[in-house]
Amino acid sequence: MGGGIMMTNGVAISVNTAQRLYWFGRYVQRAETLLRELVNSYDYVIDRDVDDGRKLYAKLGIEIEYNNALDFLKQGVYGEHGASIELIITWARENAIETRHLLDERGFSTLNKIFNHIVAGRESVVSPTTLEEMIDHFALILGIFSSELGRPKAYHFIRLGQQIERFDLILRLYDGIDLVNAELEAMNVIARRLNHHYQPLQITSSDIPKALEAVNGVINRVIQENISVKETEQTLQSQG
Amino acid sequence: MIEPVSPELQNFYDIFDSVDKSKIPEFKDFLEANAVNFNLFKEGNFIERSFPFDMIPRIIPKKEFDHLEAGIVQRVKALNAFLNDVYGEQRIIKDGIVPREYIDSAVGFLPTFMGVVPSRGIRTHISGIDLVKDSVSGEWVILEDNLRVPSGVSYPLTIRRAFRHTYPEFFESMKISKIKQYGDQLKAAMKYVNTGGLNVVLTPGRYNSAYYEHSYLAKITGATLALGEDLVVENNEVFLCVYNGERQRVGAIYRRLDDDFLDPEEFDEESLIGVPHLASAYRAGNVAIMNSIGNGVADDKGIYYFVPQMVKYYLDEEPLLKNAPTYLPYYEKDREYVLANIDKLVIKDVAEAGGYGVLFGNRLTPQERANIIEMILENPRRFIAQEVIEFYDLPCMIEGKILPRKADLRAYVIYGEEVSVSMGGLTRYAMEEGNYLVNSSQGGGFKDTWVVEL
Repeated sequence: MGGGIMMTNGVAISVNTAQRLYWFGRYVQRAETLLRELVNSYDYVIDRDVDDGRKLYAKLGIEIEYNNALDFLKQGVYGEHGASIELIITWARENAIETRHLLDERGFSTLNKIFNHIVAGRESVVSPTTLEEMIDHFALILGIFSSELGRPKAYHFIRLGQQIERFDLILRLYDGIDLVNAELEAMNVIARRLNHHYQPLQITSSDIPKALEAVNGVINRVIQENISVKETEQTLQSQG
Repeated sequence: MIEPVSPELQNFYDIFDSVDKSKIPEFKDFLEANAVNFNLFKEGNFIERSFPFDMIPRIIPKKEFDHLEAGIVQRVKALNAFLNDVYGEQRIIKDGIVPREYIDSAVGFLPTFMGVVPSRGIRTHISGIDLVKDSVSGEWVILEDNLRVPSGVSYPLTIRRAFRHTYPEFFESMKISKIKQYGDQLKAAMKYVNTGGLNVVLTPGRYNSAYYEHSYLAKITGATLALGEDLVVENNEVFLCVYNGERQRVGAIYRRLDDDFLDPEEFDEESLIGVPHLASAYRAGNVAIMNSIGNGVADDKGIYYFVPQMVKYYLDEEPLLKNAPTYLPYYEKDREYVLANIDKLVIKDVAEAGGYGVLFGNRLTPQERANIIEMILENPRRFIAQEVIEFYDLPCMIEGKILPRKADLRAYVIYGEEVSVSMGGLTRYAMEEGNYLVNSSQGGGFKDTWVVEL
């Protein structure tokens, strides 16, 4: 029997589940942000700067080709590159499927409907209005999770994923290191709430690649390799 | 043949006539939007598939269900007693009720677990009992007892909620038994056998056909959903690897993977989805495994033959529900009958499940017939033969028309402090007319099952 181990009935979050929740938050945030960027850039490509789409994706390290504004949207949504909206939504959904027992049902079904819509529209022209509706739906998904009463740990992992993805995209798209620094405390609070061993992140360098590495490394300090059972017992005892 | 319309079903039709039919597609939309899937593997490919649903429920009058419930509870108690006996004293063998050869040769019998006493003496925590209603006798007949990892309960539970929201008219006007307490009952059963620690639903992962269900059950019971790699065994105790580096003790595991994959140290060494040394923790009494290891011996199709005798032997009661007439080629007299009447029998391979390994004698080619006879003679223990039950068709709405389709019923039983049968169940129907195979893995669909009181 369990010796000095406390009997704990309730939901505990495994390493796998924590990672899935975190990545769910990241992909939902990535989808929302890139959809916004895609629609904004589409407007430029129409008649202001035909190369705006290429410049946008170049910041993400991706080369894309298109013939006109609608083709640009098609490439953004279905193109064969790592920032395609279809791919990001597929990954968001995969992570949602693996954590749906902890997710709000409406949030899950909203994401799944977006996924079904994207898959069904593969052979069709991409409509900017539809993409704008998707942006609203993603905002709704993120809003649903943040409005949950009680705010369980699952929410904080999603929130952490969102925050880190925002920082990542701010750094990549806008070189916005000051913007990231201004909001770092909010992320540190979430990370600390998830793991009380977490030491707050500070970004002192103005070097973007270093900042990206630091931001993306936060999760490895929240989700840790397992310590032994004995250490767990000691921790529990020391916590009374 | 369609079952005669009961007054309870007539009530349904009366309301059905007045409801807005344009809302029927909402069920399909709901299942798709929520990815309520029963996935399939076809030719090595993973196919996400919504479980086809028919909105006309199977309606069972309350009085009829009360009888079913009593018979099912009786049967599950007897099966649990059988498992405790067969892994203990083996009185049923010594008293000549079940031949030793039948136990020893059962694929699911695991002699290395002899003497292991599970928490609270319960082994059949969650059972799925398959029944059909015989159109000749009008009686319910048991086809199978599923005591390992019966799936399907999440689908009627999920759709019931959608049904209530889409067509409240039925629930306002009819006395339909509630089923939503299933989650609480399962949670209570987990708590009852828990040896101290977390309740866990152990899943093979996202690519399992019933992954939706694993996730659903974790949600409604508040248990932790875990993969094999999330659990470790140290000093014969099971722990969940928590994200912050700590480990939390696990007291009960509702496992949704077969014995073969449960523990690579004990069973299939190539299993990547199990938990090494889990069987040792179970043996040491440090964790409740739901359902217990080794239950396969009791839902072996050959052992099924003996269940009515188990009811008499362990409970000293007459069985309330009948088996389908079954023959064991293992016995010479039965073998002669089977070989002489193979054209009118169903032959089942005892090692198969999910509608696989089922042959209808009247559909065999001469070559297939010769092959199966040869196989029976070579290994009679491997097969059972059953009379074909002409079970009722149920009305199904297919492409806008109400058409008859063969359907069975899977009743779900939870064995905790008490034994309880969910007041509904999963009705599975065949997609094609005249097809007797209703299994989900054979492409069948499902209906909700309403227990209705006038």
